[in-house]
Amino acid sequence: MESVRNARFGTAVAYVRTMAVFIAFWWAVSVWTSNPALLPSPLAVIEAFVDLVRDLELFMHAGISLGRMLLSLALASLLAVPLGLVMGLSRTFDEVVDPVVELLRPISGIAWIPLALFIFGIGNALPVFIMTYAAFFPIVLGTVAGVRGVDRGLINAARTMGVPRRTIVTRVVLPAALPSLLVAVRLGVASSWTAVVAAELIGAPSGLGYAVEWYRELLMTPQVMSFIAMIGVLGYLSDTALRALAQRFTPWAVDALSAQ
Amino acid sequence: MDGTVSGPVKLKLENVGKRFDVAGVAQTVAVQDFTLDVVQGEFLVIVGPSGCGKTTVLNLLAGLELPTSGTVSLNGSRIVGPGPERGVMFQDYALFPWHTVRGNVEFGLRHGPAGQGLDAAAREERVRSTIELVGLTGAERKYPHQLSGGMRQRVALARLIANEPDVLLMDEPLAALDAQTRIILQEELLRIWGQDRPAAQRRTVVFITHAIDEAVFLADRVAVMTTNPGRLKAIIDVPLPRPRDDATRAQSEFQALNQHIWSLIRDEAYRATVT
Amino acid sequence: MSAWSGRLSRNLMLPFALIVIWQAWGMTTGSPRTPVPTHVVTAALQLVASGDLLAAIAQSLGRVFAGFAIAAAIAIPLGLAMGSSRGVERNVDPLVESFRPIAAIAILPLAILWLGTGTPAAVLIVAYAAFFPMVINTVAGAKRVNPTLLRAAATMGLSRFKVIRTVVVPAALPSIGVGLRISMGVAWTAIVAAELAVGAKAGGGGSGGIGQMMFVFYAYSIELNRIVVCMIAVGIVALVLDRLLRAGLRFSMPWTAR
Repeated sequence: MESVRNARFGTAVAYVRTMAVFIAFWWAVSVWTSNPALLPSPLAVIEAFVDLVRDLELFMHAGISLGRMLLSLALASLLAVPLGLVMGLSRTFDEVVDPVVELLRPISGIAWIPLALFIFGIGNALPVFIMTYAAFFPIVLGTVAGVRGVDRGLINAARTMGVPRRTIVTRVVLPAALPSLLVAVRLGVASSWTAVVAAELIGAPSGLGYAVEWYRELLMTPQVMSFIAMIGVLGYLSDTALRALAQRFTPWAVDALSAQ
Repeated sequence: MDGTVSGPVKLKLENVGKRFDVAGVAQTVAVQDFTLDVVQGEFLVIVGPSGCGKTTVLNLLAGLELPTSGTVSLNGSRIVGPGPERGVMFQDYALFPWHTVRGNVEFGLRHGPAGQGLDAAAREERVRSTIELVGLTGAERKYPHQLSGGMRQRVALARLIANEPDVLLMDEPLAALDAQTRIILQEELLRIWGQDRPAAQRRTVVFITHAIDEAVFLADRVAVMTTNPGRLKAIIDVPLPRPRDDATRAQSEFQALNQHIWSLIRDEAYRATVT
Repeated sequence: MSAWSGRLSRNLMLPFALIVIWQAWGMTTGSPRTPVPTHVVTAALQLVASGDLLAAIAQSLGRVFAGFAIAAAIAIPLGLAMGSSRGVERNVDPLVESFRPIAAIAILPLAILWLGTGTPAAVLIVAYAAFFPMVINTVAGAKRVNPTLLRAAATMGLSRFKVIRTVVVPAALPSIGVGLRISMGVAWTAIVAAELAVGAKAGGGGSGGIGQMMFVFYAYSIELNRIVVCMIAVGIVALVLDRLLRAGLRFSMPWTAR
């Protein structure tokens, strides 16, 4: 495995090198424009970031946003997974429910914000509602696809062994669909994390999206960038965490999303 | 015409070795001490058990790989890379799905050095006559996904021939076809190659296959390889008369050659199924 | 015939039932402000007749197309280069992967800081959003080219650059198409979000487009029925864009066997 380690080292080196070039370029441009509100130097951003970490403000907002996302994910999964399972297994049920799903899906979660603002007002409920809605569709569609995509051969093999229908669903269809399901959850996370920023920017008194906007109004750009970076880091970490989870529970699955 | 082979040497492999290294660490020796002369106009078939390096030899002849030792040459000069004078036919046809039959056949002439010096009309004519030669007139506008396996193989052959190569290198081209289509295409291959023409006017062919009966049916000579590492075990002459057809398969000499070659490979083939 | 009509009735029954329930609920329990299907229809007719709805959609679409085009002009060549050359990929990928988790809407405050609250910022957001699905799918498409096809072209004597042009590009087209479709959806969502956010921050003025119109109906005229009309319009435009793009892609790839 020495060759694999070498390859990983090479990639890490390239990563550091590219980011170093990028930061150097950024620094040069910031010096040239010399307008700290417009483009702060990388050092200013790092300083702001450290300060925000130190007085825990960064973690507070991050925690709030993350908490909302986890709650939304749980709600969305609770609704979407069972629904997707039944839709995937029963053609009749699918024919009844799918039209509603397909009619609502093109209306993005963000388009719901004005109406939701009216219903929920500014507060915690709004982001959670929007994020749940945003996560719902990828999860339900991915679950349906996962169930439908189960290799017919596996089901037939079980049938020829006389396995009853209900057991086939729990012991064949569910495990076979699990990889797709986890991919669907990953997409749901990405979707709701994107929605969190929009929802908090407009309609919440706390959270990373709110913080970004707050500091923008104060023209404190280093802080704005710090929070934006945090949004990116958390988005990346949640996806990585889910991928690790998927690897743990479905080690036989090929990572279908590695190119997405 | 009989199958005895003589004449100028077209392709030469001299003490060729090919070793695959991963990250500087020597890994597999695919081919070792391989020496073989391919005569102008002959149909040479290479057989051997799975993994014996047949494809590596072909890739070396094609210039898709370079030898780690020894030399590979065409007409006396070293082969350093791929080129249209050594046309290759691949096992999975490698047809461009976004081109029609005509688009595929025309490809090498349009974009490659083989088409230099040809104006549009001359190119058109060559494409047309090649498609006719392989028996696909009428299917020019079809896309590969609309064609049967046998038709796709004909297109692959046409694309190759349109570039008028000196040498045809074929890597198990008929392996993906069903047995019946295979038999038909073997005969078609010999017809298109020009089995009733004198050797000086035929193109040289190096053909790889697993199927021994296919090798005996097509070849002037059969080169038998062993595996691990890949070495040349024996070269068998196939003096069966040409043109060859169904009757050839019934001849006792055909059967005898079949048996002989199989006996050379059998043990290794068995071992491949248990290791 | 009866099987088909049975399916159709099953398709329609839930949406129909929901609309009826909504109407009934609105008429009995809600305040006069509550959006109700019949009022939504009236509002829709009004908005269309006055030309406001179509103007807003046109403005948003204009921004989407501009951003989409900019993203494509950068992402597709870049993706092809990255997919064809390990060296290019290694050097560029860190940047792409670092910014990918940062959603376009998070960049909006920065865009407003730099470009103000008008169309340039909106186009920048759309371009940023559309960039990532395009580049990622293009790279995947270029990498996934059947290596035998590349070898076949090499054996016909084509130079490396010619191989990229005549083999990698057409072979990657289906993946590029997928990237374009995803990007279009992302871009449309991004523009609505951006216009909404700007509308909210700029006090209802300045940005234009359907997102801003929705916000005005919420914050100023409090016309919930009109908000619903806008939401439905957002959905319809998303669908139409996707269908059109799909048809266009199918037309440009006549060899795909579907």
